[in-house]
This record gives sequence, structure tokens and C-alpha cells, in this order.
Amino acid sequence: MEFFKTIYNWIDVRLGTHEIITEKRTGYLLPSNVNAWYSLGSVLLFIFTLQVITGMLLMLYYVPDIDKAFDSVSFIMTEIPLGRLVRLFHAVGSSMMLLVLLLHMFSVLFMGSYKSPRELHWLSGFFLLLLAMGISLTGYLLPWNQLSFWATTVATDCVSSIPFLGESLVEMLRGGKQVGIHTIGRFYTLHVGLLPAFIAILIGIHLFLIQRTGVSTPPFGLEDSSNKWQGEHFEYEEHPGGVPFFPNFFLQDMISISLYLACFMVFVFFFPNMFIPSTSYVPANPLVTPSHIKPEWYFLANYQTLKLFPSEIIGLTVQAVAMAFLALLPFIDRGAEKHPLKRPLFTVCAIGGILLWVGMTLWGLYS
Amino acid sequence: MEESRRKFINVCLGGIAALGVTAFAAVSYPVVRYYLIPPDDKKNKGKITIPLAALVVGEARFFEFNGTAAVVVKKQDGNLAVLSAVCPHLGCIVQWETERQDFLCPCHAGYFTADGAVISGPPPRALAKIPFTVTNDVVTIG
Repeated sequence: MEFFKTIYNWIDVRLGTHEIITEKRTGYLLPSNVNAWYSLGSVLLFIFTLQVITGMLLMLYYVPDIDKAFDSVSFIMTEIPLGRLVRLFHAVGSSMMLLVLLLHMFSVLFMGSYKSPRELHWLSGFFLLLLAMGISLTGYLLPWNQLSFWATTVATDCVSSIPFLGESLVEMLRGGKQVGIHTIGRFYTLHVGLLPAFIAILIGIHLFLIQRTGVSTPPFGLEDSSNKWQGEHFEYEEHPGGVPFFPNFFLQDMISISLYLACFMVFVFFFPNMFIPSTSYVPANPLVTPSHIKPEWYFLANYQTLKLFPSEIIGLTVQAVAMAFLALLPFIDRGAEKHPLKRPLFTVCAIGGILLWVGMTLWGLYS
Repeated sequence: MEESRRKFINVCLGGIAALGVTAFAAVSYPVVRYYLIPPDDKKNKGKITIPLAALVVGEARFFEFNGTAAVVVKKQDGNLAVLSAVCPHLGCIVQWETERQDFLCPCHAGYFTADGAVISGPPPRALAKIPFTVTNDVVTIG
């Protein structure tokens, strides 16, 4: 014990670590009515770290080549000790990351935390969602099985309906007319290099923004739940008499991460085929599209929307408008009230939007 | 004196910024070009030949042509149809249904006749026709 104390003191006198813990962590106060939803950001950070670790382990044996990719994944699953577990952790983890990201977004939505001065927080979070979808899509192709091949073909083909540039953009994405040898190289580079780097940078920006403005106050349990920010000058939102981040809220973070891990393990150990269906065990065949090919659950609503509209460009435009509306929400909703029950129009529209998305997802799944 | 010094530094900084932008553009052009322009797919470029005897009435034969999937059908009346097998909706490969003598796109249930015309479903246009000739019992495609 004395040894560790000596090391701690050695570091402290050089870097002032004690000050960081007392002032920035124990002295970092959160609103007194802070709730468990605020810990979803930490859960996401944990998931992202786990994805990076399992991804690096998979990279040890994975070969990004159309003739070897499927076999290398099979080798990981069947020959490498704990390889199946690592692959499942990575595959299930990607879906769970998107699920938790959506929950985080919904909590921000209903608690009005996106309102001024936190427009940039929302925008950076929105782009993180897009990047998470991108990294999932690019990773989906890599096992080079029938499902991944055709889901990628359909997803990249959507771009072709963009007037004038569509065909060229598809060729640029795929590196050829159809998904093939150049696509796997491009997607691999994006999946293990560019996108994780962008995500890490954007996470940094997101955390920096939260540190600069302070954590938003939840609207629950308060008489006046309106937004106090006036917009005249920069102001850090302090929470005197609030909950210390360390150890109080840190404990909440640990509880949420443990709960997440419990749910995650249920899927990994009891329902692994939910994320790796039977078409995933057949190598990709560019001349045969399997029946009832479906994209991953987070693209099912987009897939169903495309099916619904007679023209591809209308289907894409509708989705682009919906996404733009979501991205620009803090600039459109300028009302001061944050409590969901005190802004019924917003709450009804938000619940309606979520139900529509869930409905389209289920329709896409069962159609 | 102070003013002119400030001006001089501003001009220098502007020059450095302009130089930086030019250097960035000069470097990024080949980098972007490297990524943007897909290498030519030389595989199966040109013509493909299939012996007429290899085709069965009422059946379809799929093959790779110019980097994409294509199909030749010997219809019930004995005539041939050579089409792109790529569904114009979202790029899935159509399947030949021998019993119905039509094509089905398994992705969004688009149906096409043996000649590639749209019967039903979301495909916005017919399957693209590929030119072919039949000489001495050999089908030359392309």
C-alpha cells in the first residue's frame, strides 16, 4: 500500500493529479435531480471501447480479400480459442451501440437537453449517429457472406437515384460497377481506419462541448422547467449543491454499464443467431440474390420506405428531409419549455415519429 | 512603425495561408483521384459466346458480362432474350422462375417478363437488353 502511495505522490507532485480528482471530478457537480438517463453517454463510451478492442482482435486473423474473407471469419469462429465469442461481441456490440445511441438521443429529445446553448452538442451527436450507422454498414460487408453482400449491394445502390451524379457515386463507393474486390478494400479501410478516427474525434468534440457549457438540468421535479439561457453571453451552467460526479454519479455510470453488460450477454449467449442469421453462413455469390434479403434492423425503416414509394428518388428525398429535420431540430424548436408534459405538441409529434419509425421497422421485418 | 510591422506580418501570414491552401489542393487532387476513379474492370470485356445447344427451352442461363450479371433465356417459342440480370430498382440479381416463365427480383418482389418488361412491383424500368447475334448455332453476346 505504501508503495502505491509513493507512486501516487511521485506523479501528483509532477502533474497535480490530486487537484484533477478533487476539482474536476469530486468538485464537478451535476444537477441535484440528475437521473440514470444521463449515464447513457458513459455506456456508449464503454461500448465504443469494447468495439475497438474486439475489432483489433478480429483484425489479427481477418483477411480483406473476396476469396479469403469468408474463410478467415469461419476460421475465427471455429478454430481460434474464444474466436466465436470475440466475433459475437463485435457483431452484437455494433447493434447494441446503435440501440443505446438511439436511447441516448430519445432521452435528450424528451428532456429538451438539445435546446440553446446546446445546439452543437445535438449536431455532434447526430453526426455520431450517422458515423455509427456508417461504421456498421461498412463492417457488415466484411464477412463476405450472402447476407452482407446483398445488403451492401442494396444499400449502395440507393445512391444511384441521385440525379446526374448517382451512377458515378455508386461506382466510387463500390470501386466498380458491382460490389466486388475493390469494395471490400474500401469498406475495410473505412471500417478500421477512417470512421473510427472520425468517431473518436467527434466524441472528443462532444465531451469538450459538455465540459464547456456544463451539464443540462433535467426538467423533472422542478416547478420552473423552462430554459434559463438568455443568449447574450457565454455562461457555464453551474449546479451549486448538486451531485458530485465522483464518486456519486460515477457509481450510477457503473450500475448502467453493468445493466448494459447483463442485457448484452443475454443476446451473446442465448440469442446469437438473432444477429448472425442462416444466410450469414453462405459465402457471397454475386450471381444469386437470396430470397427475402433484409438489411440490419437499424436500416429496416429506410428499406421499407424505399419499398413504399413508387419512385426511388421520392423515397430517398423523404428520408433526407426527415434526417435534415432531426439534425436541425434545435434550430426549429426554439421554445423555452423543456418538460415533455408542458409542451404537448412536441411530445405528441416526437412519440408519433418514433412510433412511425418502429412501425416501418416492423413492417420491413415482416413484409 | 508598429503599424507597418503588423501589416508586414499579416501579408506574410496571408502568403503562408495561400501557399498552404495551394499545397493542400495539389496534394489532395491525386489522393482524391486515387480513390475516386475505379480501376477498369477488364474481366469479360467484349464478347461472350455460348453454343445454342447449351440453352434449354424455357430455361435461363446466368453469366458475368462486363463486370455485371447477365442472363440469356430461351423462350417457349424458341426465341432468345439476352438481358442484364441487375434489377433497375436497387441492384439485386433477378431470378428466373421456370414455372411462371418470368423473372422475380427477390429483394422487393419486382416481376419482369421473359423479355425484361416490368409486370409489377417497384422496378422503375425494364431489364436492360444486351445485343446479341446467332451465327452457326453459336450465340455471340455483346
